[in-house]
Order: sequence, then C-alpha cells, then structure tokens
Amino acid sequence: MGLLAVGLFSACEDVEVLQPHAAVSVEGDQYVYEINETMEVHFTGQAENVVIYTGDTDHDYELRSQSNYGLVVNKGLFTYSYQTPGSYKVVCVATNHGDAGSIIKTDTCSFMVRVIDDDTTIERLSAPQVFYDEVFADALNDTDWLLPLPRKILFNGADRPVSLDQRLKFYINSSSTVVLINGEEFSSTDKYDLANVLDITVRSYEGTERPYKLYTVNYGEFETFEMLGVAGTITRSEFDYSYYEINLEVPAGSDLSAVAPTFTLYENTKVYVDDAEQVSGTTTHDFTQPVTYRFVASHPDNPDITTESTCVVTVTVAAE
Amino acid sequence: MMKQIFKIQVLCVLLFAFVGCEGFLDREVTGYPLEENFFYTKYQLQTALNATYDVLQSDAFNDSEWRFGEALADDVIGTDEGLGSEMGQLVHFRFTNSNTYIKNRWDVNYKGIHRANQVIANAHKVELTSDAYTEYQTVREILGQAKFLRALFYFNLARTFGGVPIRPEVESVDSLVIPRSTLEETYAYIEKDLREAACMLEPRYTKTDAGKASSGAAVALLMRALMYQATPSVNSEKWEQVVELGRFFVDGEPMTMRQMLKWDERYNEDWDSFKERLWFRDGGSYTYTLDSELRVLQGMYTFNCKDAYGMDICYLDQWYQDGEFCSGSIFEVVFKESGDGTDGDTNEGGYIYDDLFSKDNCRMYADDQIITKIFGNDARKQATIGHHATTPDLQNTEIGAGRIFSLKWYTPVKDKPTFGGDNAKNRRYLRYVDVVLMYAEALNECGQGAEALAQLNSYKSVINTTSIDGRTPNTSSELYKAGGYGYVRDQIWEERHMEFAFEWERFWDIVRQGRAAEVLKEYSNMRPNKRGSYFRAGVNEIFPIPQTEIDVSNGVIEQNPGY
Repeated sequence: MGLLAVGLFSACEDVEVLQPHAAVSVEGDQYVYEINETMEVHFTGQAENVVIYTGDTDHDYELRSQSNYGLVVNKGLFTYSYQTPGSYKVVCVATNHGDAGSIIKTDTCSFMVRVIDDDTTIERLSAPQVFYDEVFADALNDTDWLLPLPRKILFNGADRPVSLDQRLKFYINSSSTVVLINGEEFSSTDKYDLANVLDITVRSYEGTERPYKLYTVNYGEFETFEMLGVAGTITRSEFDYSYYEINLEVPAGSDLSAVAPTFTLYENTKVYVDDAEQVSGTTTHDFTQPVTYRFVASHPDNPDITTESTCVVTVTVAAE
Repeated sequence: MMKQIFKIQVLCVLLFAFVGCEGFLDREVTGYPLEENFFYTKYQLQTALNATYDVLQSDAFNDSEWRFGEALADDVIGTDEGLGSEMGQLVHFRFTNSNTYIKNRWDVNYKGIHRANQVIANAHKVELTSDAYTEYQTVREILGQAKFLRALFYFNLARTFGGVPIRPEVESVDSLVIPRSTLEETYAYIEKDLREAACMLEPRYTKTDAGKASSGAAVALLMRALMYQATPSVNSEKWEQVVELGRFFVDGEPMTMRQMLKWDERYNEDWDSFKERLWFRDGGSYTYTLDSELRVLQGMYTFNCKDAYGMDICYLDQWYQDGEFCSGSIFEVVFKESGDGTDGDTNEGGYIYDDLFSKDNCRMYADDQIITKIFGNDARKQATIGHHATTPDLQNTEIGAGRIFSLKWYTPVKDKPTFGGDNAKNRRYLRYVDVVLMYAEALNECGQGAEALAQLNSYKSVINTTSIDGRTPNTSSELYKAGGYGYVRDQIWEERHMEFAFEWERFWDIVRQGRAAEVLKEYSNMRPNKRGSYFRAGVNEIFPIPQTEIDVSNGVIEQNPGY
C-alpha cells in the first residue's frame, strides 16, 4: 500500500511539461490594415494555451504587469481589428502548464502591423441648422457639392429670411480625418459664409488630401410678379423649398386668354414655361388654367451648377 | 456436472439476450412521436406551432431582447455595467467574440427558426378529415403564423448580425454547416415569409383567437423590415414600399395579392402550385386569384385605446391586462399563466417583470436627466415614476433614491396575481402607432412632408386628449409643426423616442437612423462611467458572429468586419 502511494506521488512529480513553440502566420502575409479591417492570425506552433497581445490600448504586451491583457486564441484562429491608426507590435504568447500550474513554460513570437487611415471621402454634407431643418447638399461629381437653399422659409405661418451664414455638418466615416475650409480647420459651431464658394480640403490621418468645393445656390423665384395691374405674392410650401404658388385675383371682366405678366428675377436666374424662356412683359400665356413656371438658378462662378424650382400661378377673375 | 449445466444455462440466457437486443433495436418505435410520423393532423401541426410561440415566451428570448434593445442604448442606466462582467463588456462595446449574451441571442433566435421550420416543412403531410374550406383555412393560418414567427426570428438576427445562415427547412446531418447569406438575401427571405403571411392570415384575431399573429402583424413587421433596409435621406425603393404598405394599412387603399407578394418580379412559380403549397382553397365566397384583394386592415387597429370589449382605457392601461389585445396592440408576446404560483416557470414573463420592476434588484433604471431628455414636458412623462413616488393605483414603491422606472413594466394592484410567480402580463411587441409613425417617416423620405406631418399629428392629436394615468385629464393642444425634410424627420424621431420609450426598441432605432455613435457619445458624456464612448461607428452597428459558430464551422461562417 505504502509503495503504491509512493508510486502515485512519484508519478505526479514526473509530469513532463513540453516546451511550447510560438509561431503564427498572418492571412495573406498582410501586415498593413485599414481601420476596422479584420486581421486574421493563424497559430501554427505547439502549445496548450495561446494568447495574443494586439499592441493597442489594454492589449500592450509591454504593459502586461499593468492590467493589459492578451486575447485568447480559439482553435488556432484569431481575428481582430484596430480602431485607431498607428503601428502596433503584436505578441503571441504560447504556454504549457505543468501540474496544478506549478510549472509554466512559455514561448513568444511577435510581428509588427501598421494600421492606416486614408479616408478622405465625404459621405454626406449638410447645413444642419437652417432654422430647425437639416438641409443636405448634393454631390455633383467627385469634387463639387451643391447646397440648394431657399431665400425664405415658411415657418409658424411667417416667411423668414434664410441667412447665407450657416453651420455645416460633414458625414465622414473616420474620426481621424481632418476637414479644412479655406485653409482653416473646420469647426461644427462656426458659421461659414456660403455666398462664396468654399474650398474644402479633407486630410486623412495618413496625410493624403482631397479637395472639394461647396457651391451654394438659392432656389430661383420671382422677386416681383404683376399682371393686369395686380401684384402677386408668393405662397411658400413648408415642406418643399423648391415649390411656390402665386394666387391672384384680377378685376372683373379681365381677359385671361393671352396675358404677359411683368416680373423681376434675382441675379443668375432664368425662368421657363416648358422649355421656352420667359421675358417679362412680353411672353404671353392663357391664364384661364394655372401656369407652371420653372426657374433655373445658377452659381455666379460656375453657370453649369444649377438648381431648379417651380411656381404655379393661378388666376381668378373677381365676380362682377 | 451441475456446474456445467449452470454454465450452459447462463450461456443460453446470454445468447437469447443478445438475439433479443438485436430485435429490439431494429424494431420501429411505436407510441412515441417522431418528426416523420407526427404531422398527420392539423392538431399536431398546431402543437408544433405552439412550440414555436413558446420560444417567444421564454426567458431566454426576452432576456436577450432587453439586453440588446434597451440596455445598450441611451435611455437607461444599468446596474451591471462594470467591465468585470460580460454584461458590462457588452454595454460598453468592449466585448469579445465569445460574449455569452451575443451567443445566447444567436441561439435563441435559431431555436425559434428551427421550430418554425418544423411547421413549415411538414405542413404538407397534414391529412384533412373533410374537404371543407375551413379545414384548409385552419392549416393555412397555422402555416402563415409559422412564417410570421420565422421572419420575426430572422429579422432579429439580421439586425443583430447582418446576413446570417438561412437554415434549410429540413435539416440533415450531412449539411449542418451552412454559410452566411448576404444581408440582402436574408432580408429577401424575411420579406417573402411576411408577404406570404400577410396574404394567408386574418386581419385581426380576437376573443378566443386573440394572440395569434394576424395579417396586421405580418404587414407591420414587413414595414419594419423594409425600413431597416433603407437609410434616412437616401432615396430607396424600400421607403417607397413602406409608403405603399402604409397606404394599404392606414389609408385603406386596396391591395391585391399580386402587389403584396410582388409576384411579377419575385416569383417563378405556377399560381396553382403556390395555392396548393400555402393551402389556399377556393370555396364559399372565396376564389383566390393573383388579383384578389387582400382583406382590409384599415380600421381593424386604432389609436384610441379600447379594450377587448370596446371600452376606452387610459394610456397606461395599454400595458396592463385591460389593454391586452386592445385595438392599439397588433402583436403581443403572450405569457402563460399557470395560476398555481409555480416558481421557476420560464414562460410566464415573471422573470422580466420582476427584474425590470423590482425594488431590490432591478436591472435598469433612468434618472431625471434622461427622462427630461426623452419626454421634455410631454404628458407621457407620467408613464414613469421616481423614488417613493405613487403609482396610478396609489402604491408606494421602494425603487431607490433618484431612480426612475417605466410604468410600462409595472404590475398594478388590479392585475396582481394570487401567487407571486404568476405575472402573466403580455409584452406588447407591435403597436398600431408604430405602423403610423413608420408610414409617416417613409412619406417624409419620399418627399411627401405634408402627408407625413398629417400622419404624425393624427396620433399626437389623440394623445393630446388621452389621459395617461386615468386620473389626470390631458388637455394639450400642441401639435408637430410643418417644416422641411430634416425638421419633419427629427420630429418623427422625437415622437418615436417618447412613444416607444422603454419598449426595447431604442438601440435598434438609433442604429437604423445612422446616428448610434452620435447619440451614444452624447450619452457617454452624461455618465461617469462613459458608457457608449467605445461604440465604433461602422463596426458596432452589428455584432460579431459568436466565436463558437466560426469554430465549429471551421471558418465556413465568416466573421463580421471589424471583429
């Protein structure tokens, strides 16, 4: 009996802990990643337990005595992604344990990865506080954006003028990307004078820059409108800034079959009915039916950049 | 000699025993239902459907629902937000791919899918006792409900994980590993189930049928699934389809089966085989053609909270027993009442109500700052209570200093069960106001702001005169205001936030709206533990596929980007 006990104990003491071997391969031999791109690491060594220190916040091998920790590798496959650009030392720790953890043998290997952030794309761009509204700009091509703004907004029953000094909001996927406006760093609380073309530069963390231009064009509308001696007033839509109506009542007995209204337009605006350009006091229409005017307003610096709006003029004749 | 005889006897017994074993093993099992021989009657099919509903009632399902839908978002403060626990890691977005709650969510929804698949795959085996129309109708409605439930579980997975593996309806050991489908494919599968269910089910089930998923529920969930595929301020046919469904559900415009199913663009199936597959049988006044109009949904569900007897109830009663299956409620998770005080039941919802509204050990609460942020001065703020505050039924609550709870999870005295463990209060899953607000949002996205505002205010004007607690009259006249796209959209979102506060939809809503990072960042600045500040835009909108799924599939199931 005594011999058996001795045998058992000696068996415990004889447990041999093999020296682990730390080795990894990186999928596709890729050592440069974009933000949030998945890094796939395969453990190719021999060990009972494997952890990987990814080298970023909380997972720095050098700071392992200061609560930084490695992430466990399951079945030899480890996936991870970095959220901040930079260079990171990835350390793989392979461990074999002896009986009750009294013997621990480890082996480590490491490699460097570089995480780049080269994002210079503006996803969306808006003026976020046009009164209470967020008005989005349209991307015209790779560089030019157009922000169409109304001259006035109908809000709470009154027409309120819209200033061209507006805040801007950029929707960019990377938080490391910097936006410069006319050479100065963009601030979400500053107001920018949209009467001028804004030169926007988007600079990525890696330093690559991409230029954009923001053009602002007011929707076209009649500055004044008059026919048969009666002045028309624009009625705006609260929901659609590019749509107006003018409702006129002309004196009894007026003939509406061929009337040439007189009107004035803001600069850089043309007005059409169908495709025919309208001339104040000259072009006639049959106003017994509503007439739809189409405005094309263009940017003074670039006539190709235009925005369209419509106005429906409805005329009634006063009763005798 | 005696010994030899004994040995021979033992040998013989053993020999017979072995022979007996072989015969026993080969024999067909009788008296015990198997998948192959179970689904012969409509009653058996109904039993399988009940098993699918059972997943909705389970603690595991509802536990996952509040952890993700509410605890991750900006309306609550959790009592388990330390980074030492897996829940803390989850709500801080600092979890690993092996997080238990992520795995549980995956598992419980697939459990539901598996059970729904049993109904759908075996319905064709049912043998009817007569050729009567109602016999076919019964099976069709069971099948339709299973399709609704399967879509609900897949939708939960899609908005949590992105595209997921679509399990075959009949599982085989030869193909246990199924690769992930794309997000578009997953949503197409969900849409197909819901569009078919919308054709197969009754508009609304009441009385003894109350609780069944109706075509109203299928259309409402379909609108939600479509909305989750669309992006605010980006034109999309999904927004247009939500409008199309809103016109049918809310405005009462007719819709044919062809329109609902999107038959011309999505089906490559003979109409007769479609009818046979889904148990549509012509009979009585029913003749099903592609141009048959769907049963009208308009008017089946209303804002005005009326109970099952048509009596008016106050706003809060919508969440109590008076409001179960009321006209404002489209689909509920029905908790079973054992009535015997049995402890440890996993399908009575007791766990949730105790956890979310318990004085000692609550899981989540809000504070003044949060409540003001959600409600401002809206009367619905009364739907919450604070420390030692009095509930509408004059009960004192001991919920802790500065802590505020939602009365939506409170069990009033009149509903208190005889036994402590039997809460038996249903969870409201889809409400009519959701349909109207989804419709309004889609209208605004499609450039019809005036109509959107009209829909939004159609609800606000009802709320303005509805008493919240049944004691204090509400006499507000404030309506939402007209404005441009962004303004109307923000007002709709504000109304959603108030109306669905603490109903476990908040996290999904802010993700869908594309502003989860922004909202959580703002929230993290209010909180000492900075919960939410680790949310990574572009990654954390969906969660990692549980690591075990990657492992057991040997990498066939691919991980989401960023994990």
